[in-house]
Amino acid sequence: MSAPILTAGQLRRERLALRARGARDFARRFGRRREGVIGVAILVLYVLLAIAPSFFVGSLETAVTASGGRLEPPGTVHLLGTDEIGRDILNLTVHGARVSMVIGLLATVVTVLLGVVVGIISGFVGGWVDTILMRLTDFFLVLPTFVLALVMTPIIRDMLGGGGEILGVRISLLVIVVAIGITSWASTARIIRSQTLSIRERAFVDRARVIGAGPGRMMRTHILPNVMNLVVANAVLVFAGAVLTETGLSYLGLGDPFQPSWGQILNAADQAGAPGLGAWWYLVPPGASIVLVVLAFTLVGGALDDVLNPRRAGRR
Amino acid sequence: MGSRYLLRKLAQAFLTVVLIVLVNFVLFRAMPGSPERILLGRNPHVSAEALAQTKARWGLDKPLFPDQFVAYVDATLHGDLGFSYAYRGKPVTAVLADRVGPTLLLFGLGELIAIIVGLAIGAYSGWRRGGFVDYVGNGVSLVLYSMPYFLIGMGLLVVFATGLGWFPTYGMMTPGMTYKDTLDQTLDIGGHLALPLATVSIGLIGQYSILMRASVIETLSDDYITTARAKGIRDIAILRRHALPNAMLPAVTLIAVNLGYVVAGAITAEKVFSWPGLGTLTVEALEARDFPVLQGIFLLLSISVVVANLIADLVYGLLDPRVRT
Repeated sequence: MSAPILTAGQLRRERLALRARGARDFARRFGRRREGVIGVAILVLYVLLAIAPSFFVGSLETAVTASGGRLEPPGTVHLLGTDEIGRDILNLTVHGARVSMVIGLLATVVTVLLGVVVGIISGFVGGWVDTILMRLTDFFLVLPTFVLALVMTPIIRDMLGGGGEILGVRISLLVIVVAIGITSWASTARIIRSQTLSIRERAFVDRARVIGAGPGRMMRTHILPNVMNLVVANAVLVFAGAVLTETGLSYLGLGDPFQPSWGQILNAADQAGAPGLGAWWYLVPPGASIVLVVLAFTLVGGALDDVLNPRRAGRR
Repeated sequence: MGSRYLLRKLAQAFLTVVLIVLVNFVLFRAMPGSPERILLGRNPHVSAEALAQTKARWGLDKPLFPDQFVAYVDATLHGDLGFSYAYRGKPVTAVLADRVGPTLLLFGLGELIAIIVGLAIGAYSGWRRGGFVDYVGNGVSLVLYSMPYFLIGMGLLVVFATGLGWFPTYGMMTPGMTYKDTLDQTLDIGGHLALPLATVSIGLIGQYSILMRASVIETLSDDYITTARAKGIRDIAILRRHALPNAMLPAVTLIAVNLGYVVAGAITAEKVFSWPGLGTLTVEALEARDFPVLQGIFLLLSISVVVANLIADLVYGLLDPRVRT
């Protein structure tokens, strides 16, 4: 068997072609999943709103710049009505998209990062490290993490102080990010660990070991790229969970009224007695947004899982 | 079920509870502001003497570990969870005890309805996969799955309480009402219970029917089902005697695993209707920064979830003879 010897340039071209083919193949298989495509469409819409809310509805209305009367039902001026201090609900909801999505994104990054690090180390190193890390993971899996996040958030916030901003996100919201991250990495760690266990046994890892690669390098360059598919599919589902958790925490009064997320808007609606006054227009826009975004992430996550997860490839 | 399985599960649950107690201790100490300051009120003119006295009185002069930790564990074991800030020094256990009943009523009934209805819908959609019930049920379940409980509750509240006026909007009993007899009282509570109960059940039904559907589909692809079909057993008998008993097993485990999330839903759903249970208490404690009560709630809820998981594991071990290790 005589393989043709390739020059560096040819090798690079070959690799690029392979990547491009992989991407095309992925797009084709994903495109066949109707629910995944619908999910992506919904997400594109909300990402656009989140990137440039002011472009669509002007800057965030406050008690001072409120443009309408108290709890006006939807009409021609205020398409979705107004809240108890006369702010436009459409304006609030579109700006809420940015806050909810940014918190969701940051919380997902923290969660997945923790989960991947714990999962890879646990699976690759094994031994007592694995035992300890997995006991910790089990602990977080059993725990009602929402309650833990609920207790942690005010404590962390009182320690840091609520004011101030980092990169345009208020610290009180970053506290929520941290609380979600600390409490929800466990299932990611489990999934990544089991995949690491099977990759560890593959021949190319042995080869790397033989030519003298250290454990850190093997985890980075041999294990990590091979669990990446799984990480992406999992991250999408984590995002859905993070948005839900943030919504719950803000609804219970842990949000920030100065940067209202959808959950925070619903909290305000509750405080203003909107459900009892029959002010449905105050509840439906943020509520529908939450459901649509979480649903979209769930649909995309399910489709990605089917396409990317090697164990599912055979099944319909 | 081998005794080793039993022992291992018990040991795991015990370890988890120990960790929970530990976390509770650490969280409580991480709280800002020193305890002696809170005890003395926010008075800035406290003499060093009084401060030292207070510290000695409450054992705060001793080292955090082991003295304070041992005292804490000892108190927790004896059911002493400290005193509420907001309820004027009422013991936390007494505050919690008042609220457990309503929550148990709401969630016990809610779980029961959801398990029966959810599993039935899930089993039927999995069995007639691609049929009408599956198509509609799956869509509805997915939407419900993406919906926080409190949104379902707010929707029901707007339509059935505010809009149609069929049910009261908040609480568990009509304030200031005197009852002729127990039936009268039960009816009043029932009316208040209807919407929160519907919220909890609807929220759970989505989850459970998705779980059960997947489980039934998985089971139906097993070889022994094909064998049963080949033997000429009727469809309905295959479902009842062969598929369902096996499909129930993973569903039971998943229901137990999901309990942690159910607790989260419980808290938000109670707030919508001001149902006087642990969820509403949580919100009140959050607003008043009543940390001892918050810690107590965390301890109570986490340990309940661990115990429920343990029970599910043991039931699983009894039902499934393959679990012996």
